[in-house]
Amino acid sequence: MIKSHISLRNKDILGLETMSAAEMNLILDTAKEMKNIIDRDIKKAPTLRGKSIINLFFENSTRTRTSFELAGKYLGADVVNISTSTSSVAKGESLRDTLLTVEAMGVDIIVMRHEAEGSAQFAANIAKPVIINAGDGAHEHPTQGLLDMFTIKQYKGNIAGLKVAIVGDILHSRVARSNIWGLLKMGAEVHVAGPQTLLPRGLEQVGVTVHYRVEDALDQADVVNVLRIQRERQQKGLFPSAREYARIFGVNAKRLALAKQDALLMHPGPMNRGLEIAPDVAYGEQSAIQEQVKNGLAVRMALLFLVLMGGTHIEAAN
Amino acid sequence: MKLLIKGGRIINPAEQMDMTGDIVIEQGKIVAIGQNLTADGGQVIEAAGLVVAPGLIDMHVHLREPGLEAKEDIASGTRAAAAGGFTTVACMPNTKPVVDNSILVSGLIQRGQTEGVVNLKIIGALSKGLEGKELAEIGDMIAAGAVAISDDGGHLDSTRLLKTGLEYTGMFQRPVITHSEDEELAGEGYMHEGAVSAMLGIKGRPAVAEDIAVARDIMLAEYANSPIHIAHVSSKGAVEIIRQAKRRGVKVTAETTPHHLTLTDEELKSFNTAFKVNPPLRSADHREALIAGLKDGTLDAIATDHAPHAFEEKDVEFRYAPSGFAGLETALGVVLTGLYHTKKLTLMEVIDKMSYAPAKILGLESGVLKVGAPADITIIDTEYKWDVNCINFYTRGKHSPFEGRNFKGKALITIVNGSIIMQNGEVLK
Repeated sequence: MIKSHISLRNKDILGLETMSAAEMNLILDTAKEMKNIIDRDIKKAPTLRGKSIINLFFENSTRTRTSFELAGKYLGADVVNISTSTSSVAKGESLRDTLLTVEAMGVDIIVMRHEAEGSAQFAANIAKPVIINAGDGAHEHPTQGLLDMFTIKQYKGNIAGLKVAIVGDILHSRVARSNIWGLLKMGAEVHVAGPQTLLPRGLEQVGVTVHYRVEDALDQADVVNVLRIQRERQQKGLFPSAREYARIFGVNAKRLALAKQDALLMHPGPMNRGLEIAPDVAYGEQSAIQEQVKNGLAVRMALLFLVLMGGTHIEAAN
Repeated sequence: MKLLIKGGRIINPAEQMDMTGDIVIEQGKIVAIGQNLTADGGQVIEAAGLVVAPGLIDMHVHLREPGLEAKEDIASGTRAAAAGGFTTVACMPNTKPVVDNSILVSGLIQRGQTEGVVNLKIIGALSKGLEGKELAEIGDMIAAGAVAISDDGGHLDSTRLLKTGLEYTGMFQRPVITHSEDEELAGEGYMHEGAVSAMLGIKGRPAVAEDIAVARDIMLAEYANSPIHIAHVSSKGAVEIIRQAKRRGVKVTAETTPHHLTLTDEELKSFNTAFKVNPPLRSADHREALIAGLKDGTLDAIATDHAPHAFEEKDVEFRYAPSGFAGLETALGVVLTGLYHTKKLTLMEVIDKMSYAPAKILGLESGVLKVGAPADITIIDTEYKWDVNCINFYTRGKHSPFEGRNFKGKALITIVNGSIIMQNGEVLK
């Protein structure tokens, strides 16, 4: 049982850049408790009974949306999903109007995914309900960052001092950015690797070590987080071919062997097997990919609980 | 009727004059500058403790008329100009329809006289419809009164057309004003490419896109031996390229903006669309290079690139907001607060960059305080403290990156052709 004296500072969960290590630890500790609920036969807890959550997804998603939906339902909240195909956005309604419409229906939390960077901040400026950012363009995906840290903590005990390599398409990845902020604040050493064309300029200035050779990043790494090549955003030819990418930058058994023997392999999914990650590695002994999915649910349950109930009542969750 | 401005600190960059004295105005002209002058029953403005400057000139504004009046029109835009201390503005041709013929130039000049409250100068398009394919009727537009030629609003991709445009416009000794930025390189970005864009996940417009285009445009002007004016310079590379070109004697002039001189891309961390502008706000090293460029004369002028948008257009996600914002009513406050009071520019330099230099570039008679010159005068209180509140703007563009900021320094009186049109922030016409 955790009884914390701290709570989340801000109404909304927009990103890990603005979250303190103490807040992140609160969420991770709470998630530990929540994970027990997932393993129960009867998963329903009455904690958020009478609360309503809207998943407002302007971009496709299976795992994040389902994870948030189940997180809300396991805690007893009413959850509604809206995706662009069924929303008024197709009729030309502005984001402002959509948010105000949802707000008028009395929802407590809006979980929003949107293709534009900063859209979660925009929503938070407008709407009274709690905004949880489920991914805003290439900016942040804070719950993925938190679940990745939760997974690392689960396997490694702590995060401070670990060498974490993030490999792949950093340029288009909101996961990478949330990971970078979260891991740096928790005291990890963050290395990124990939082709220069997929590494945004200026990353060094936030305290990240940048490599163009995957091998250098993987060398003696404690954690290897492989990112998806976002094929849908690769229209501009930022690398010559999938074949070349797999050969030079893909994480395979040979490259993974450069990391520490007990290095943890992660991937936020969905995977392009045979491109950024070799199938044998993805399903190998070091892979925590399935566990990440479960941990995502626990972290989202923790967040929903904390934003509605505050940090000083964690015992109520049980 | 006579108008006497009494006891002000007269600053006239044309003659490097900085003296306390009086100015007498009659029939829209300055008739006397000196000590102990009298009004002979005319109106007296007590200007002790205030700066009396040649009227400010903004050589780069978007007044949106014709066709985009929901954003701005000549009436609202020139009132915003007057409120900001400007006596002359030159408007860009990227309207609907595009100002690419003499009929529209004449029509706008006439609209300026009937609807406007400050002098309105017209910049004609270089290419028909701003399409970048065929020269517009440049000679005809200049004959009708256009003061410069520009395809501003975007970059002119065609190197061939720019060469032709420079050669053609140069015959009339008028400048081509360029928005120099390699669009193919910068095209998909929404902000400066650097550490901030890296972590915001926003696609960047690299500074090198501006450097490359400025280099190309200057080389063409040098080849054509024609005057070129580089608009809204924002990158340190561009400053250096312009500096070298001036040393070689190329007929190049350049401007930068109040926002590029005082803000950086760090501001975008708020995702506030008021900071979205093109060229984008860059990092501090670029900003410092711009200030150095102003100091050593590489950059001749400060222009606002006043680009108002309707409120709802900017009130969207950052990616979807149009670039640009209102600048006329904040420009002097920004420059005095951010550059004069911080001792980066002298008052003489501020007035030069915001009045005399743009007048020279556009070939105007104004921008000077001398007997016989048009009585376009701005009276400034450099110590006046005020807060920016966009709702009170005369412009229809209610977005400003300076919203809520505290400024020190403001135009108190704007005199155009001998008439007081703005006093204490209120436009009188």
